[in-house]
Amino acid sequence: MVRFSLRRALCLVCAFALGALTLGTLTLAGLASSAAAQELQGANTVIVRGKLPPKAGEKGGPGLALKAAKILAVPLEGAQVIDNGVLLVRDGKIQAIGSARTTPIPAGYEVIDLGAKWLMPGMIDLHSHIGGTFDINDMVYLANPGLRVSTAVIPRNEAMKLALASGVTSVLFIPGSGVNMGGQGVLIKTGHERYEDALIRQPGSLKVAQAGNPERWVINPGRSFMNWNLRNTLQRGREYAKKWRLFEEGKGPRPERNIDFDVFPELFGKRTQISTHTQMFQVVLMTVTMLRKEFGLDVYIDHGEMAGYRTGELVKDTGMQAILGPRAVEVPTAQFIQWTGSNPEAMLGIGAEYQKRGVKMIGFNTDAPVIPAEELQLQAGMGGRYGMDFSNLEGVRGLTVVPAVTAGINHRVGSLEPGRDADILVISGDPADPRRWVERVLMDGKWVYDSKNERRIW
Amino acid sequence: MRSKWYSTLLSGLLLSAFSLPTAAYAQEAAPAAKPADGKAEEGKDKKKADEDRWLAVTNGDVYIGPGALLREATVLCKNGKIHKIGHDLDLPADTKVIDAQGMHVYPGLVSPSSSGLVGNTAGDFADTIDPFNRNMVLGLAAGITTTGVGNAAVKLKRFTIKDAQVRDRAFVTMVWSGRNPQGKKGLREKFVSTAEYLRQYRDWEERVKREKDLKEPAKKDVDPGILMVLRNEAYARFSANDRDDLLGIARLAQEFGFRPVIEGCTEGWTVADELGRAGAMAILTIRNQSPKDETLVRAGGSSIQNASILHRAGVPIAVVPGQDSVSLDGIVGRDIQHITVEAGFAVRGELPDDAAIASITTIPARIMGIGHRVGSIEVGKDADLIVTDGELLHYNTHVQWAIVDGKVAYDKEKEMFFAHIRPRKKSETSEVKLDKGETAPKPEDASKQDGDKPADGEKPKEGDTPKDGDKPKEGDKPEEKPKDGDKPEEKPKQG
Repeated sequence: MVRFSLRRALCLVCAFALGALTLGTLTLAGLASSAAAQELQGANTVIVRGKLPPKAGEKGGPGLALKAAKILAVPLEGAQVIDNGVLLVRDGKIQAIGSARTTPIPAGYEVIDLGAKWLMPGMIDLHSHIGGTFDINDMVYLANPGLRVSTAVIPRNEAMKLALASGVTSVLFIPGSGVNMGGQGVLIKTGHERYEDALIRQPGSLKVAQAGNPERWVINPGRSFMNWNLRNTLQRGREYAKKWRLFEEGKGPRPERNIDFDVFPELFGKRTQISTHTQMFQVVLMTVTMLRKEFGLDVYIDHGEMAGYRTGELVKDTGMQAILGPRAVEVPTAQFIQWTGSNPEAMLGIGAEYQKRGVKMIGFNTDAPVIPAEELQLQAGMGGRYGMDFSNLEGVRGLTVVPAVTAGINHRVGSLEPGRDADILVISGDPADPRRWVERVLMDGKWVYDSKNERRIW
Repeated sequence: MRSKWYSTLLSGLLLSAFSLPTAAYAQEAAPAAKPADGKAEEGKDKKKADEDRWLAVTNGDVYIGPGALLREATVLCKNGKIHKIGHDLDLPADTKVIDAQGMHVYPGLVSPSSSGLVGNTAGDFADTIDPFNRNMVLGLAAGITTTGVGNAAVKLKRFTIKDAQVRDRAFVTMVWSGRNPQGKKGLREKFVSTAEYLRQYRDWEERVKREKDLKEPAKKDVDPGILMVLRNEAYARFSANDRDDLLGIARLAQEFGFRPVIEGCTEGWTVADELGRAGAMAILTIRNQSPKDETLVRAGGSSIQNASILHRAGVPIAVVPGQDSVSLDGIVGRDIQHITVEAGFAVRGELPDDAAIASITTIPARIMGIGHRVGSIEVGKDADLIVTDGELLHYNTHVQWAIVDGKVAYDKEKEMFFAHIRPRKKSETSEVKLDKGETAPKPEDASKQDGDKPADGEKPKEGDTPKDGDKPKEGDKPEEKPKDGDKPEEKPKQG
């Protein structure tokens, strides 16, 4: 909104430029707040053409201090909640966080008192297909490690705007699960206009689909063939990665580059993960035993549902994370989920069952647009409804720090700690509760959504 | 023809009902006309003829209306009706007691529509009703005790189909769509001719008192449904989302003086004042998303604040989830089992909490013309209650007990579905058995009953639907004799 009004203001001002030069009362510093910029529209004043100075909190701008009744900081370890807290933002990063009593606000900082509102880190959805165009399910080959959905990104598209309004600030935009190995996902932020600003990491993951959809591929491969195909591809990938590692260490000749296999040095160097669409017991079992144990890859359960929780103890022992959704329960009657045939007794919450088996790192995903991107928080809510224990903020953590750690980006997002990106939500309460809503979103120190300035879409 | 199981189930009990030409639910024709603890109860079991059936929900926080919570109060029910609400009540000796210590007591929820909760299909309630249906248990577990099925309002009564129907013809369905201009014209013409007939009829009604031989006006081009609507016997129900359609319906309603119920109403927030003035009521699915038509300058598309904006403009809001049947595909939060979640999303759009609770209790009850019986906890109303382990709209809240007509129809601990989720503490668990409905009377009882029973169905009483069905008279209104302002409100006067 500010952008539009400024553009109009600039045009207006050009026309007035000569006559108004004499007034010359407005300095650049006066433009620092958006309120001042909006006032310009009717004012007979001068603006010097050019880039506006950064606002408080943005890179190069003055500092920003947020005061809130409650801050859900949710670091991986340590104090999770700060009551009556202050959060300082400078240069797009979190500078300090603490209780109002112990955290002085330096001079020159713009102070926003949010009253009874809460602050929390932006939410992260690790299974999303709404990053851009929807042609992300190429099914020519069964294994496509070279395909990259980063080429399909449309930054801040309509679906992303809705996600942003719901507080989802980062997504792992991944290929569909039509084939065994769909290609590389990309980790992007939802609120930026330019790809370069939005990008967190490429490759964000290597997408693998072990069950459910690849069966429909041309020749209807079954479980054995898909597992062979995965093992075959990963083994060749491992060889390729090894050659590059030896070359980089000066122990071998430069290998011939194979763009199909570009992702494997990243993968085996633990700089990216496998996000695998894995659901049923025997499939999750292969995820753990093959991808994790045999190949030693950084792999997490993605799109976790159905009877996969029965591997819970194994998942816990290997230190894997379980990102769950969009199916939050396993139901007593099998219906189309005949392949599990596992649970005749009760409505079992998937999250609760993983939790019962000792898995601590449980997160949530939507598979947007299967479940709308803006309903990520409801996935957490439903986890709670169907039995998850939220007494240690598991609901909030599963939307923030758990997926951040899982995707290896917690050094930038997922918790409110000094040095992290200032991706911050102003929210009216418990994020797992559908009744609570996001009022403002700060992204890299910049206000990218404010429900007061635009019609609330969510 | 009724199927066999049906007759087996009812053998002896409802023998008389079978003789009625108007099919099985004829005995339902005038439930309001029955005394609260009337003959149906008496005839059921001779041995207990003079015994009353008591049920008390004790120590719960009872939600008795907007902003009104009675802490640790008791709701005492007698023969299926709410008898007393308060503290330190004297409970009769044989009262069945549910200890709701630390829990909340709400009225049973009312869904303006649903599919498959009482039978197999959405429309054909009478032919598919199944009181042993799994989905009925899931519906009760969601807190729903009454639902619209097609045009009927039906209770989720387990183990029996007796008195399940609260009201027939709760709605008159109408179509008003910009895509069908001919249809709009046709509907308007029917309204014109029916309104004209009604004017002539009322005129005749006055004059015939003096001029005995005056002929009753002819029912030419009279639409029976529209006649019901114009006489305020049932609401007209439209399905419309587009702003222009909404405005058209509002104008039609104001011109002919009726209150429309509008399902969908996605763009309602853009014309909230007009809908409020027209006395419209809305059935919303809060999460329905539709984009704004960017070729138009005016506001449009969906808004999360739709419910609150309409509410502020005086439009009563009822809420249904996007999927009005039970979904068992594992994706939760969007089907009829999560009606409270949908209402929660209305709160997200800044609808006040109380209005959100009303949107799944009192308002849908009023919309279906059964507000005098269900939708709130008030003395004299049906004893349809739910006991929950938390605030109604909180995502973690589960229904612990559902009570329909003073009988325990659902107990979370006794069903396989949710008992394992945060089980009740032992101290909270009172030994309450599910009310398995009436036991089939012994043959000798049944023969006696024959003599008792028929009064119900065969003798049309005042307040019954007349036999010929089209002769309007004083008592023609459906069982909608509200006690306390539950009658559809007078339409606000124009201009």
